[in-house]
Amino acid sequence: MNDSDMRSILKCVRCGTCRSVCPVFDVIGWESASSRGRMLVAHGLSQGMEADEGVFDSINTCTTCGLCEQMCPSGASPVKVIEDVRHQLVLQGKMTDAQKLLRTDAIEKGNPLGEEKDRMAWLGDSKNDVPEKADHVFFAGCLASYRYPELTKRTFDILRKFGVTVLQEEVCCGSPLLRTGSDPSELMSKNLEQIRKIGAHTIITGCAGCFTTLKNDYPDNIEVVHVAEFLADRLAEMDLKKLDLKVTYHDPCHLGRCNGVFDAPRQIIKSICYLEEMKSNREKSKCCGAGGGVLKGYPELSLELSKNRLEEIPKDVDYLVTACPLCRTNLKRGGPRVDVLDIIDLLEMAME
Amino acid sequence: MQKSDLLKKLQDIVGNERVSASAAELYCYSCDASQVRGMPDFVIRPANTEQISKIVSLANEKEIPVTARGAGTGLAGGAVPVEGGIVLDMSSMNRILEMDLGNLQVTIEPGIVQEKLNDALEPYGFFFPPDPGSSAMCTLGGLIANNGSGMRSVKYGTTRNYVLGLEVVMADGTVVNTGTKVTKSVAGYSLTDLFVGSEGTLGIITKATLKVRALPKERSVLLASFEDPEHAGEAVVKVLSSGIVPSACEILDRNIIEAINTYDPHIGLPKAGAILMFEVDGTENTVREGIEMIKDACSTLATSIRAASDKKERDEIWAARRLVGAAVSRLDPLRTRVYVGEDIGVPIKELPGMLHKVGEISKEFKLPIMTYGHIGDGNLHTGMCIDMLSDKEWDKLTKAADKIHLTAISIGGTVTAEHGVGSARAEYLGLELGKGLDVMILIKNALDPKGILNPGKMGV
Ligand SMILES: Cc1cc2nc3c(=O)[nH]c(=O)nc-3n(C[C@H](O)[C@H](O)[C@H](O)COP(=O)(O)OP(=O)(O)OC[C@H]3O[C@@H](n4cnc5c(N)ncnc54)[C@H](O)[C@@H]3O)c2cc1C
Repeated sequence: MNDSDMRSILKCVRCGTCRSVCPVFDVIGWESASSRGRMLVAHGLSQGMEADEGVFDSINTCTTCGLCEQMCPSGASPVKVIEDVRHQLVLQGKMTDAQKLLRTDAIEKGNPLGEEKDRMAWLGDSKNDVPEKADHVFFAGCLASYRYPELTKRTFDILRKFGVTVLQEEVCCGSPLLRTGSDPSELMSKNLEQIRKIGAHTIITGCAGCFTTLKNDYPDNIEVVHVAEFLADRLAEMDLKKLDLKVTYHDPCHLGRCNGVFDAPRQIIKSICYLEEMKSNREKSKCCGAGGGVLKGYPELSLELSKNRLEEIPKDVDYLVTACPLCRTNLKRGGPRVDVLDIIDLLEMAME
Repeated sequence: MQKSDLLKKLQDIVGNERVSASAAELYCYSCDASQVRGMPDFVIRPANTEQISKIVSLANEKEIPVTARGAGTGLAGGAVPVEGGIVLDMSSMNRILEMDLGNLQVTIEPGIVQEKLNDALEPYGFFFPPDPGSSAMCTLGGLIANNGSGMRSVKYGTTRNYVLGLEVVMADGTVVNTGTKVTKSVAGYSLTDLFVGSEGTLGIITKATLKVRALPKERSVLLASFEDPEHAGEAVVKVLSSGIVPSACEILDRNIIEAINTYDPHIGLPKAGAILMFEVDGTENTVREGIEMIKDACSTLATSIRAASDKKERDEIWAARRLVGAAVSRLDPLRTRVYVGEDIGVPIKELPGMLHKVGEISKEFKLPIMTYGHIGDGNLHTGMCIDMLSDKEWDKLTKAADKIHLTAISIGGTVTAEHGVGSARAEYLGLELGKGLDVMILIKNALDPKGILNPGKMGV
């Protein structure tokens, strides 16, 4: 275990604040499913504890939502410790089948979904019609490309008016691998090479997982913005009409809490219709339950987390809006009372 | 009996999902928020009294230790199974069984978290007053077993003042009910009072009927700054003897002020040698009057006095104050708050002297000691932060804590005002209680002859 992780574990005074906020602990209830417990398990491993199923379940059920870290009074960094432990275990060949599959698919097929079809199919006829050089490049991400092709196309149609291009051979950004302990460098190089060729200084993405990875794990000379940030700055140029709607907004953890993007999506929503906040929001917003490999590895747990988040939807809203395809997917799984929209869906309604 | 046979028997009682013997789980239940450690053999999350009765009865027959645990936020190792055996994690028994608000009482299962109970009471205009800094985490079972209290105990007292009756599983598995729904009853020994504060050594609490209070209409917070903690101590004596009973009276020393400002920068507490945080609650008139009386009493001792501007500021100040014990860890990346020697209580007249003594101990051991706590009832938290990897600092910390404990006892104080004895402070009990400890041992032996309930705690 590296020094900074050991220091972080020693910072934890086991006061249990994380127990009171961890959405996973709330569902599972065993101490090993709280951040305090995971820090202890990490410590146990450093003292020679064997990595058995109990250890896997403790370490791998964290969605890396970071609420514990946000609330931790003593300043420990559980998410970093958990991700590092996952990495150490994977290096020793110790991982769950879900982790293995995620890694093989991402590396061999370029996406963790195991899709073998043409990733760029969403572009349709525009495929041969995108600029080879541009300042801004749109990074669609795996889930958007394969599961929400129409939305992705519509997003790009808005963006291309501002001179944005795409990566013709985009592969997974590496986020699922980083979150679950595997090495994403091969994927990252493939993307980077294309970004450099295009000469872009800014990447735009609509996925919170891609956003945090591109921003924090890719070389820092590339600027990364979320679609919502890019468009919030250009609202004046978009001729939006007001809609008689009341919506609420789910902050994707890896966009909001982990990277501080709270205002841009709200600015877009408020320029279109009325926003009523969810019970927990912004820094303290609850996780949708999909992140950190949990949707893949523990689908039932992930579903419970989604249902708990959906309980925070205010009464009388017309839609739940979010800004990440993974959050959207999992929130839909939870059977919401109202439809879940991507922020681009809402924007388009106001553009029609 | 083989471990695997015992596991099978326990699974038969509670089902496979409610018992664990996995290495990861056992490690997680080998500690609480103190420095005490002990590895359990099994952790069980029982669902009801009947299961607990069967588990305890089996454990009694096989002479296996049983340690109850709430949220494991205890600061004395109370929930740590220092002799192994079974840990009963009570946190899934967390229902409110009855809200009998016409009689100003509720009946709960012990695993409910303090704040959750208060969230449920608030819409009806009621609250359960004992409010420890850990209110968002700790369970009512833990509070009852430790007789915990908190920032409002200067006015509202400790948990003991709110327990009307209990359901308890005794060491042989028998289930008994203590107390009554009536607020006054002298029928027999007060068994309820015996179990409150018994730290899981006499029985497992499975149900509790608690008094609740109507929420006050108004609250107001006043911050008074002082040159040093001793002056603040004098002001406390003056305020309390002036006839006003604040609903909270907290002290923060220089380092604690810095810790709060670091944890939540926009609170911006004034820089001072010490701050007293007063809260007054009641009707609009009593609050206004109370605040004026406190201002008067502090006027010659304080360097400045200001009131929190609104509810938002007041809530933020309290939220930060609640967690400051842990937040002091933020002041230095290499140091961590260690809860040792952290919970003395002294008679209020002795406060200025004790605060001075703490300063001397800090100098003697060259160890910064941060002082905060419920000074209104003489309860001081002396917080020390050390480099956890330095044996030398551990040694200094242990010696300083010992001196703090002995000093408190020597002036008629206690080694623990609210956090409990556990095994962390057991060695001082003989000195503090004298022959009283022998009586405790007699009681323990009578109720738990095989010593299976939370062994190694409280000096019994
Ligand atoms: C940041 C922080 C601030 C704190 N502030 C305060 C404060 O202001 N005031 C205060 O009093 N304490 C405070 N504490 C200490 C702690 O929160 C209290 O002692 C609390 O009552 C413990 O509750 P718990 O549910 O965590 O119990 P645990 O720590 O799990 O257990 C405590 C004791 O209760 C026993 N027990 C638990 N449940 C049962 C049961 N059902 N039947 C029988 N025995 C049982 C255990 O065996 C153990 O002896 C603080 C702790 C922290 C970390």
